[in-house]
Formats: sequence, structure tokens, C-alpha cells
Amino acid sequence: MSKLNRLAINEEGFIFDPDTGNSFTVNQTGLLIIKALKENKTEKEILELLKEEFEVEEKEAQRDLIDFMEQLKLYGLLEDKNV
Amino acid sequence: MYKVAVSGINAVDNPGPGIGIAKSLKESDLEVMVLGLAYDAMEPGIYMKWLIDKSYIMPYPSKGENLLIERLLYIKNNFGLDAVIPALDAELPLFIKNASLLENYEIKTFLPTNDQFKLRGKDKLPEVADKIGVKIPKTKVITSYEELIEATEKLGFPVMIKGLFYKAYKAYNISQATSYFNSIVEEWGYPVIVQELISGEEINVVGVGDGEGGHFGLLGIKKLWITSLGKIWTGVTIKNEKLLSATEKFISEFHWKGAFEFECITKDNEIYLIEINPRFPAWVYFATGVGINLPARLLKAALGLEVERDWNYEPGKFYIRFTDDFVTDISEFQKITLKGEC
Repeated sequence: MSKLNRLAINEEGFIFDPDTGNSFTVNQTGLLIIKALKENKTEKEILELLKEEFEVEEKEAQRDLIDFMEQLKLYGLLEDKNV
Repeated sequence: MYKVAVSGINAVDNPGPGIGIAKSLKESDLEVMVLGLAYDAMEPGIYMKWLIDKSYIMPYPSKGENLLIERLLYIKNNFGLDAVIPALDAELPLFIKNASLLENYEIKTFLPTNDQFKLRGKDKLPEVADKIGVKIPKTKVITSYEELIEATEKLGFPVMIKGLFYKAYKAYNISQATSYFNSIVEEWGYPVIVQELISGEEINVVGVGDGEGGHFGLLGIKKLWITSLGKIWTGVTIKNEKLLSATEKFISEFHWKGAFEFECITKDNEIYLIEINPRFPAWVYFATGVGINLPARLLKAALGLEVERDWNYEPGKFYIRFTDDFVTDISEFQKITLKGEC
């Protein structure tokens, strides 16, 4: 099971990693991205979701998505094969 | 009713495991009377009568095994004693050495063998790590100041300076390293261990090996908040498969018997073994709280009863310590001081 799929995520954006015991909080944008990644959605699909949900331009959505995925990698929650 | 002696009832800022053990035994399906073995009349457990039914002052382990056995036999003959769960490092060698003698007197224990006990030595960790497929920090075993200089040059700062069994200090430069080296040599003698510092997540396992390669349950945790003495104050259960399978391999490879705590660091998906403690840790009640009553299971094993082996716990269970206080009469203090029991 990939690291991402093992994470326990609740609707308020609290994330618990049962492997390391670390916990994180994310905002609604982060929550949407992380849930979409868990569902194996492509980057393009996630961008569409972000634009639709938060009524933002493609460029802004793309920047947020890249930033957030880098953060996930930094914390060891996302492996390169996930993206 | 089983009468079981438990040591480490010093519920202070550097707590012994005794209160967690006593609490677990009281919550088990066995009827247990807990006898506290204390080394000082001020140990709070002596006065916690709702957990420790009766307490005895013990001779210091440094006074030798004869006094220890005599004291245990006194308790057995005057009050009754079915089993002992020693929980302090300094006592363990005496109890391990005398386990079969105690068995002859019908005082049961469930302890590691002397060879297993030696595995906790930090000079043995490379061998253990190798056999169970985990890493250890780069380690140098040294016996002189010249070797200390050489080791720190090779490992670079910061380094950990450790005694073979006890004490660990973080040194950022050679003057700190020298001072810690001298302090360890003075207190514990040679050799001294110089170890690479691994910065990662500290994770631990508590368990009880059955002595035949299996176990009576494991619990993996992460310490989330520790005191200035490094003692856990809050923690969370984790299910790190790599850590748990390494622990199971340790038990099966060495046929570990009795309680143990595995201290590890995880970094970049690797597990580094830092320490093996051949006893319950002070946070052992965490296991009981999530449904794996390890002290009760160890007691059942010691008594030759059937022991549960299920250990399916949920990750994300939270452990909280807190301070508390109560008032009792000075007559309790008087009894323990004058008679050595109360």
C-alpha cells in the first residue's frame, strides 16, 4: 500500500500517518488535493477540480498544486511514483 | 488471589515502570494483590494503596544477592509471594542469576536468560541489528582518550557518547565529548561508545517474548512529547510494519523471554536500532490501555497459565501522562521507616 493510501484523513483536514505517528493539518485546498491523489486522479484532473471548487484561474491552481505536492514530498508522504 | 511483587514504584519525574505494571495487573482478569518493592521510604507507590496493596523496603542490589533472596523469602513466609516482576535495570542481573533458585522457592519470574540480557550491551547492537535486518548508527567502541579523538574525527560532530549500558549524551565539540567521556568512565568504567547522531523520528516497541521465538503481543508507539529528562508525557500508537517485523525477527532470532522495550529511530524509510531495554518501560500501561495487557500476560506466563497472544491494536490511540496528588497519614511513613513494610 502506498504511503498516501495509509494516511488517515478526516473531513476537517486532520491527517495522521500511522507509520511514523506524525500528524498534520491541511486547509480545504490541501484536503481536496490529497483526497484526489489518493483516488489516483491525474494532475490535470486535480487542476480541473481545483478550478471548479475554488473558482480560481488555471495558473493559480497549478501553482497551489505544485507547491502542495512539494510539501507532501518534503514530509515523505508522497513518493515520486504517485505523481 | 495471586500475590505479585513489583519494583520500580518510584512514580517521580523519572518514573519507574512499577505503577504502570501494578495498574495493568489490577485491570486484568486475574485477582492480584500487588506488593511494592521499594528502595526508599519516599517512593510514592508505597502510599498508593489503591494500586499497591502492601510495600516492602528492599536491600540495594549492590548489597548482593543473598540479602535480596532473604528479603523475598521473608515476604513469602510472612505474607505470601507467588511471582516477582522486577522492573529496574540495576536489579535485573540479580533476579536473572537467581531465577531458578527463586523458582525452587516457588517464587515465579519470567525473565530473559543471561545471554539474552547481554544483548542489551551497545557493543552487541551491531550483531543484533545485522541479524534482524535493521541498521545501527555508525558506532565506535573505545577504551582511551586517543581513541575518543580518533572516533570523533571519523564520525564528525555532533556525536552521541554512551556508556555500555547506561547514560547517553549528545556532544557538539571535543571538549563536551571529553567531559562526557570522563564522566561515563568515572561512573561506569570502560568501554565507552561513540556513535553517529541520527536525526529522525524516535519510535519504540514494547513486548513480551515467550522464550520460544514467539510473543504475547507488541505495541509500537511514537513519543510525541518528552520531559527534560527524556521521559514520555504524550505518545501515539503507530503501525510501522518495518519496525514491528524487525521486532518479531528479534524475538524469533534470539528466543527472547520476558518483557522488553525496543528503541529505534526511523529516517528515510530505514530503521536504526538505538537500544534494547530488557524490562517493561515506564509507559507500559499504554499497551494495557489499547487492550494488550502485557504485564498481566507476562504474569500468566510466569504462573504457567494460558496466555493471550492477540495484539491487533489501532494506530492513532493517544497516551497522556498527568501529575496528581493525594493526602495520607504520616503513620504510613512511620511504618515503612521503622518496620520496612506497610
